[in-house]
Amino acid sequence: MKYLNLVLKSARRSRRRTALTVLSVAIAVFLFASLQAVLDGFDAVAAASSSTRVVTIRSTSMIFPMPMGHVDTIRSTPGVQEATWANWFGGIYKDPKNFFGQFAIDPESYLRMYPEVILSPDEKKSFVEDRTGCIVGDGLAKKYGWALGDRIVLQPGIPVYGSQDFAFTIRGIYKAGSSAVDNQSMMFHWKYADERSEQKGLVGWIVAQVADPDRAAQVALDIDRRFANSPYETKTDTEKAFSASFGKMLGNLNLLIGSVALAVVITTLFVAGNTMAMAVRERTTEIAVMRTLGFPGATIFALVVGEGLVVAVLGGILGSALARLVINAEYLGLAGGFIPAFGVGNRNVVIGLGLSALIGILAALLPAIMASRLKVVDALRRVA
Amino acid sequence: MALIELRDVTKAYRRDAIEIPVLDRVSITVDEGDFLGLMGPSGSGKSTLLNLLAGIDRPSRGSVRVADTEISSLGERALAAWRARHIGFIFQLYNLIPVLTALENVELPLLLTNLSKTQRREHVMTALNIVGLGERAQHYPRQLSGGQEQRVAIARAIVTDPTLLLADEPTGDLDAKSAGEVLTLLQRLNQEFKKTIVMVTHDPHAAERASHLLHLEKGTLVEQQAASRA
Repeated sequence: MKYLNLVLKSARRSRRRTALTVLSVAIAVFLFASLQAVLDGFDAVAAASSSTRVVTIRSTSMIFPMPMGHVDTIRSTPGVQEATWANWFGGIYKDPKNFFGQFAIDPESYLRMYPEVILSPDEKKSFVEDRTGCIVGDGLAKKYGWALGDRIVLQPGIPVYGSQDFAFTIRGIYKAGSSAVDNQSMMFHWKYADERSEQKGLVGWIVAQVADPDRAAQVALDIDRRFANSPYETKTDTEKAFSASFGKMLGNLNLLIGSVALAVVITTLFVAGNTMAMAVRERTTEIAVMRTLGFPGATIFALVVGEGLVVAVLGGILGSALARLVINAEYLGLAGGFIPAFGVGNRNVVIGLGLSALIGILAALLPAIMASRLKVVDALRRVA
Repeated sequence: MALIELRDVTKAYRRDAIEIPVLDRVSITVDEGDFLGLMGPSGSGKSTLLNLLAGIDRPSRGSVRVADTEISSLGERALAAWRARHIGFIFQLYNLIPVLTALENVELPLLLTNLSKTQRREHVMTALNIVGLGERAQHYPRQLSGGQEQRVAIARAIVTDPTLLLADEPTGDLDAKSAGEVLTLLQRLNQEFKKTIVMVTHDPHAAERASHLLHLEKGTLVEQQAASRA
């Protein structure tokens, strides 16, 4: 601790340079924590997904619907206890940039199969009984200031639903019981959407409840086999695999985001390393004087590394705090539907701080070795 | 009683394939409490001799014994610890750390001790009061004159109460008045506080303050005499 003042004063020697280094580390940590949070969001959804639910989509792509009759066929598949279905609505609330997930569902079966959608019994009852009723996540309600009984008007975003606006009444505000369900979505009666659809009786995906999770993979195969060679072949997976595969639709996210984060960190490492090298080079005489006063090489090494650490961790704190503040689903309003609710959590903050410390240590390592091995006489002769 | 004993010390630097001799079989004995002036033209080996005494350079051959320690055989870590305990070094260009106050500059060598912060501050203020700069403790080097900076550097050199004070051209960068003040201070440290001092200088006026003078030329001792007290 007695060297802290010396480290801090050394770091403040060139304020502009230190500020720029702090800023570059802050940006790196901000990006790293944010990108990591996105990956964690997808992982959390996959982890929280039920292993007793299987999801059936068209084998070609989930954007193509399938006939309602598939639901009954799936229900009659051995091992399936229950089935429900949903459609992606894609409506526009006032402005296209007000994006959130909107699902046309069969209320009774859907809510039975998704106990994670938490509603009070009264809300549930009034939603089920109102054909134009809807439920919204508490995050979404908070974002738009909605309350029970409010009217929402959505403009159809997909041509198949025509051009006439859809009006809904909020009958429930649900809480998400796990990451498998986000609190930034809206759900309403499938029948309400279907009756105005130009292509009636089509569903986007079907979710089946299987009795034995150990047999889920087999049941999924059986379901697909039943639709084999039909005009509407299917692809069925466990909900966990479905969530993971949705992430994969966006490309190899792990590799992509990981590469970006790594590139940012390495670039910052070079920036900080160069700064530390310059700082030490400018202080050659001072280091030689300190060695003359009796400072051992190890202490000089620790002082330089300490300086790198202080500057980098300061950047880390700034970057992590900013990421924690800004990167959360409610603030950004990014989540909803298939995009998982993600946010920079304590874990990301800790990783960000650890990363900044690592940048500080690595950046200072080479200059610190040079400083600790400095030939005192040569350094003093240079200025004599 | 001999504090410094140099026996047949030879020092040569190697530049590329060429060996450049700097000191050639120099033998010196300095008693405790002496104020030795080292004179000689540039390149005569004065500063090299001082560096050997400070333990920041090593002889090519010969023995350097200071305060009963053969320092030429010490390892780097032991040598650093030895310097911290026994040597106070005063540079020509003061070499204060610009981002530290006078107090913090003087405190630097004490960071290597086990003294508490309060104890360190007490020692620092004692040293600064000796050099007459107690009231400038919170000033930064840029806020001090050259003479004051050198006095702070002297305070830094004496704060650990070292066995030996080494001064390399301590007045070389000062005007006559400031140089006089610094020399008077060094003389006082020698006479009043019984500090053994070895001072390298070009300046005959500075050399007059020493109790003994040694002249070096081309790496060898050419003359030895007792200086007259000013």
